[in-house]
Amino acid sequence: MKRIIKASILAALFASASSTAMAVERGGILHYGRYADSIFLDPVFADSNVDIWILTNLYDTLLLPTDDGKGVRPGLASAWQLSPDSKTVTLTLRDGLFFSDGSPITAEDVKWSLDRARKPGNGLWGPDVESIDTITIADPKTIVLALKHPDPAILASLTVYNTAVVPEKILEALPGANDEEKAKVFSRHPVVSGPFMLDSWSRGTVMKLVANPHYWQKGSDGKPLPYLDGIDFEIIPDDATRILKLQAGELDGAELIPFPRVAELQADPKLDLKLFPSTRTSYITVSVRPQLSVGSPNPLSNDKVRQALNFAVDKDALVQIVTHGIGTPTSSFLSSATALHVGKGAVFPFDLAKAKTLLTEAGYPNGFATSIFVLAGSQDENTIAAALQQMWAAIGVKLDIQQVDNATRVAHYNKGDFSMRVGFWTDDTPDPSEAASYMAYYPHIQSLHTGWKNDEVDRLFTQSQSEIDPVARAAEYAQIQKIYNATAPLIFLYETPYAVALRKPVKGFNQIPLGINIFVGVSLEK
Amino acid sequence: MLSLRDLLNRMLQIIPTLIMIMAAVFIIVRLLPGDPASAILGDRGSAEDVARINTQLGLDQPIPVQFLYFVDRVLHGDLGTSITLGVPVAQLILERLPVTLLLTAMAALLAVVAAIPLAFLAAIRRGRGVDLTIGAFFQVGLSMPVFYTGIVFLTIFGAGLRWFPIGGYGDGLGEHLYHLFLPALTLAFSLSAVLMRNLRASIIDVLNADYVDFARSKGLAPRLVLLRHVLRNALVSTVTLFGLSVGTLVGGAVITETVFAVPGVGRLMIESIYGRDYPVVQGLAMTLAVVVSLVFLLVDIVQAMLDPRVSR
Repeated sequence: MKRIIKASILAALFASASSTAMAVERGGILHYGRYADSIFLDPVFADSNVDIWILTNLYDTLLLPTDDGKGVRPGLASAWQLSPDSKTVTLTLRDGLFFSDGSPITAEDVKWSLDRARKPGNGLWGPDVESIDTITIADPKTIVLALKHPDPAILASLTVYNTAVVPEKILEALPGANDEEKAKVFSRHPVVSGPFMLDSWSRGTVMKLVANPHYWQKGSDGKPLPYLDGIDFEIIPDDATRILKLQAGELDGAELIPFPRVAELQADPKLDLKLFPSTRTSYITVSVRPQLSVGSPNPLSNDKVRQALNFAVDKDALVQIVTHGIGTPTSSFLSSATALHVGKGAVFPFDLAKAKTLLTEAGYPNGFATSIFVLAGSQDENTIAAALQQMWAAIGVKLDIQQVDNATRVAHYNKGDFSMRVGFWTDDTPDPSEAASYMAYYPHIQSLHTGWKNDEVDRLFTQSQSEIDPVARAAEYAQIQKIYNATAPLIFLYETPYAVALRKPVKGFNQIPLGINIFVGVSLEK
Repeated sequence: MLSLRDLLNRMLQIIPTLIMIMAAVFIIVRLLPGDPASAILGDRGSAEDVARINTQLGLDQPIPVQFLYFVDRVLHGDLGTSITLGVPVAQLILERLPVTLLLTAMAALLAVVAAIPLAFLAAIRRGRGVDLTIGAFFQVGLSMPVFYTGIVFLTIFGAGLRWFPIGGYGDGLGEHLYHLFLPALTLAFSLSAVLMRNLRASIIDVLNADYVDFARSKGLAPRLVLLRHVLRNALVSTVTLFGLSVGTLVGGAVITETVFAVPGVGRLMIESIYGRDYPVVQGLAMTLAVVVSLVFLLVDIVQAMLDPRVSR
């Protein structure tokens, strides 16, 4: 008996010792290498991925996206409730919320922040919350959003960075004739609601964040998050230098690892190479307008031609060539990580015979000549275009590769003055409506500037935007994808994960499929 | 030596150059396809968004009107605000220009320190093993692309030997100099090759000149002959080449700045051109024009000191 008691005590001591060893470490500065610097640290007026993907470390939203990027979870609001007619959202604020200057986050701040986000002309993301009609403060902890119409994406929209909560009094007191001018002043020394706050920013070199001592979330040890004392975002544009710096231990993590380097870094015992699931899809956008800008008929306006081009792409070979086997062929225009995605395997499996038949049926038995814009200096885009040039030569299609810079390409693209271009997409909201509205719904931006218009898809999309029955909405999305994928206003290529390399002591980092980098739970093991 | 009047004349000549550059850059940057709104909005922008932003920026006005506004602002000491970053252009230039100037100065210094003695050695021992070894070494410097040299230096001296940090700029002058050593060495590698080859050829020419034979025959110590007669005369053409190369270095450090993550004006210029950030491109072009003009002026002064015939 004595032995048993002794053994139990020893086991208990051992367990306690090992649980102490397992406890998360606090403190330290994470040195994280980014390929480009942020531009604008205001949630409403920021628009680039370099801002979007880190902004929620500075600013908290009422709701947060789930780790799979498809749903929502509590944020500054601990609970939410949709009325039976789905026209009212009631949000309950947590207790003990403070901005980084120690002042309380109030319901007034929340209302003011949402009003600022949805004011016409304030940034590009206002339309995401256009369904909000009025915002009422029912009591200091309760905010009620009355909607103009039932909006199945409203909760998802409340996770997007533009709805983050900012301090009304501080922003209102800043100099500036309008919200944008005030935002410019504010973003240099922002007072924030997120886990980290800006300490200093030497543009193009390093942005230093430090822990917000007033942050509400608690760690696994019951103490306030974040675990880190701070983050230094070091700007290292060159991939090789960024990786070298990581390998030498001068960085703890590095983003955007090029796929050709993934296998090498996976084999490095000091590193932990992460391939985070993403909503990133790569494709070729095709102008389907009946005539090209020079006035000649556009062969790409014919559905069969685009289908033929899709069938003639050997996706597996392309995945090997460009992504070194890391990507997978796209199975729909929505990524497989996007909610309500439908599809399995490549949309158009490689089939050269079928491609030739379709091209003949379309009246181009000997093929035709067309062109593609690629970003000058982009290795991936040039490789894709060169591979397609070879693959399509097999069906007689001659592809002229035109290298241009991004502003030139966008200008042509937005005017519809192009034949093809390489493009990619990542979702920003945990709802398929963002991708569908840009890619398939004509009235928004002419279906990603392709000029593709399908009345049934437009009708289904409009219907889905106020469809509150999840089953019916899923059916609408299935139908939208079926029509879109079959008529192929895109050349479907592949989807790829986010490749991030971390040193082994770095724990708890996450980049969710929406691209957002989450540092709140990161710790550095000693 | 240049007289004060000559010096003032040369300085005044910079003004029309600047006006021409100001006008040319203003027009050329607007002739490029694309506009700031397209660059800001990317693929997701609608035609209405593009038009709204261009109107906000005053880009819907005729170019001559825009130019007059620009000149008026410049005359009042205002270079405008960056469209992309929302920061005054003058502030950006003040942050970035010293970085590039320091990098260029270090590169120039390293290049000169390496080129002069080695050119002498190669010229005096021409055709022998030392000459051929130096020639081969600098041939490598001339033929290797800068980004490759940069990565090789980073791998050897940064990651391998840990003598220098891998990229970045650091805090404080000491760290800046430490961080900039490898990028400066990278730039100096190719620059010194050009200077060394030119100087070696000049020294060989001068060594064969009659006045050098005369100096030797009157019994001057060999070291004095080399310093007073050979180096001074051989340097004239190399100083011109040096001036031209430094001018190119200031504007063309972009690759080195990218590889070494150095936040200089080269990187800013490229990013601003890609982003169609007109005020930054204009402000930087003017600033770089002033810097390059001043370097050329300095070269003129040094040349006049070395060879008084230049100032006549």
